[in-house]
Amino acid sequence: MAGLISTNTFWTLWLFVHLILAVGLLGALTHQAMAVALPVRQSAGGIVTRFRAVPAAGYATAVCVLWVLTFLVGSYIYTKYRIYIRIPLEQGAYYKTGGFFDFKEHVATLGLVLLPAYWYFWKNAQNPEYDNARKGVTLVLAVMCWFLFIVGHVLNNTRGFAS
Amino acid sequence: MSTTTSRAAPARSSLAASARFKTFATTFSISGPVIYCVTQYFNWPLFTFHPATDRLVWGYEAARSGEGPNMLWYGWTATTILIAAALGLVAMMLPERISRKIPLALVWIFPILAIPYVIYSLMPWWTHP
Repeated sequence: MAGLISTNTFWTLWLFVHLILAVGLLGALTHQAMAVALPVRQSAGGIVTRFRAVPAAGYATAVCVLWVLTFLVGSYIYTKYRIYIRIPLEQGAYYKTGGFFDFKEHVATLGLVLLPAYWYFWKNAQNPEYDNARKGVTLVLAVMCWFLFIVGHVLNNTRGFAS
Repeated sequence: MSTTTSRAAPARSSLAASARFKTFATTFSISGPVIYCVTQYFNWPLFTFHPATDRLVWGYEAARSGEGPNMLWYGWTATTILIAAALGLVAMMLPERISRKIPLALVWIFPILAIPYVIYSLMPWWTHP
């Protein structure tokens, strides 16, 4: 990319790609988690009911693909975080902020390893034997995703875009 | 009129209809969080990355003077995926009467149980003066 855009812009664009993928993942998982936690008994209704009344099983493959892509792009930009963000955070004594990023990396991996079972449970959503496990793993992944998103957002506010 | 949003047509892809893949997937996902915690506790990264010099080294290597920090998370994740996949493959060889007994609830219970350990492992960050 030398000459076309600056190094700073290059990494900022990747951070933006990470954000866009994360937004898609967050939306899909939140729809799905609402659909399993509060299944709709009646059609129509208000915006909250319609939010829950999605064909949740159809999101499973997209969630897996988005989690993996977000994970890979996050892993790519993590190298720059380690040098250009974390070191200044430590120098500024923002230890808890840095700690939450490490917490985020662990949660991202814990979520990643859940994907094969999550995908299998959703692809067999007609089988009531998997109902509880499917509900549990979907809610865990949704909570993880919200945590990852919020920590990433706060860290970006601390020292992110164009820094 | 009742609607069901979490049901779907029966799985058609061979992978989703395979009992052996179910055993692999559940074993991988149940063991993954446990292996990750153990890998992190004993510090067994498959490789170490040094971002300042773009150097990749097998296994663990401490940060070297004048070469910036080391990164272990990639290696911990790789170790976890390899061991969990190996366990999944082994579990696929078990007779179905045994593999059917794997408690599916562990898929979501173990990652929840891993969180307190992860928070504890980050104690130096939380207690730094």
